[in-house]
Amino acid sequence: MNKFILGGLSALVFLGFTALHAPEARAEHTVDNTPLPSTIRVAIRSENPSGESDPRGRIVWVQTVPFEEYCQDVLPNEWVPSWHVEALKAGAMAVKMFAWYHHLHPVTIDGFTFDVDNTVNFQSFRYWSRQPETNAAVQAVRNAAYVKPNGEIIELNYRAGYRNSPNWQYRNAQKMAQWGSQYWAERGRNWVQILQFYYMDRTLRWIR
Amino acid sequence: MTIRHRWILALTLCTGIASWTAWPVPAVTAQPLPGPGSGQVQQAPAAPAVPESDSAAPEIQRPSMPAPLPPPTPGSAETPFSPYVPWPTSKLRVRVMDGRTQQPLQGAEVVLIETEQRATTGPDGYTQWMDAPIIRNPRYRPLVAELHGQLGVIAYKNGYRDSIHLGIRMHEGVPSETTVWMYKLGPGDTRVEPVLYQVPYHHVWLVELADRFRSKTQPGEGPERP
Repeated sequence: MNKFILGGLSALVFLGFTALHAPEARAEHTVDNTPLPSTIRVAIRSENPSGESDPRGRIVWVQTVPFEEYCQDVLPNEWVPSWHVEALKAGAMAVKMFAWYHHLHPVTIDGFTFDVDNTVNFQSFRYWSRQPETNAAVQAVRNAAYVKPNGEIIELNYRAGYRNSPNWQYRNAQKMAQWGSQYWAERGRNWVQILQFYYMDRTLRWIR
Repeated sequence: MTIRHRWILALTLCTGIASWTAWPVPAVTAQPLPGPGSGQVQQAPAAPAVPESDSAAPEIQRPSMPAPLPPPTPGSAETPFSPYVPWPTSKLRVRVMDGRTQQPLQGAEVVLIETEQRATTGPDGYTQWMDAPIIRNPRYRPLVAELHGQLGVIAYKNGYRDSIHLGIRMHEGVPSETTVWMYKLGPGDTRVEPVLYQVPYHHVWLVELADRFRSKTQPGEGPERP
């Protein structure tokens, strides 16, 4: 009898232990419990002599920008406005999800707390540099999010890549190649197919 | 030295003198030498003289004329540069804003430097759409085609510093906008000069340009590992 009680207690302890130390079942931030940010804090770094913000320059101030305007002022500086519209939409999604993730994970550097800075440390941002073509792409993916299958908001990262190449090596690294997005768009793939090519095990979710 | 050797030496010297005197000496023509302060323009070298009797003279090989360039494709970045081909154009409008109040400025005059077109901003700070050329730097065309052309504008408004805005990105077939910031003159402004803003090159192009000339011995951070 005692053996049964002891066995039962051991099983309870084991279950409790495994329940405590089980892999994280719940996602911190999902599209179901996290609204799209309304603003984002952008650290403005000092400019180098050529007029471009220096990724190693000191932080001059932190500017709070409406989130959608931030995406509009990043996309023409990361993608090229004359590129294919599907490449621009894929880029708009990457820019948005990158910013959304970092809005949820702010950093403090040199006494400034911010979400992103305006250089290639995060995403290249120039205030009021938005263009009609890229604005349309931002608007087209406005109600969509590209997340993990459980809805977790993740950073969609990207790199320049190489011109006229599918940039397979970036697919293996879960990063989108900017030139690769243009490559696939010119060959008839739409923006969702481009995202699926570079980011595996992700899903498209519609948000309010 | 024997007598035989002396004969051989004398024969060699005579042969050398005879061949030197028989060598055709080109006529030296007086050419003006360019120099500082000479006030003369360097002339192009004269064409070789053609003999009167064509029948006797061998035919002169003239340098062939360069083949005409293929017709340029408007909007193609790979089109070779030619100053005789008109630049492709695209739509551009300029928005002028007060740099301190962040409000649009009405009545500012905007001049497109490359074409001297003038436009005035409306109540929303925008000029009208205008046709503007897409001018790529010809130095880089054979190497790595630039992703966009560049233009410059100057904005004037009474009571404000002049603003020079260079490097505006222009793309074929795509309308472009740019924002010019102007700063109001105050009592502390004693030396009033224009404000310059330079739009940087697109960094995707800078990455491509650097990769274009990278040698294997200077890989920098090494091949990009995504």
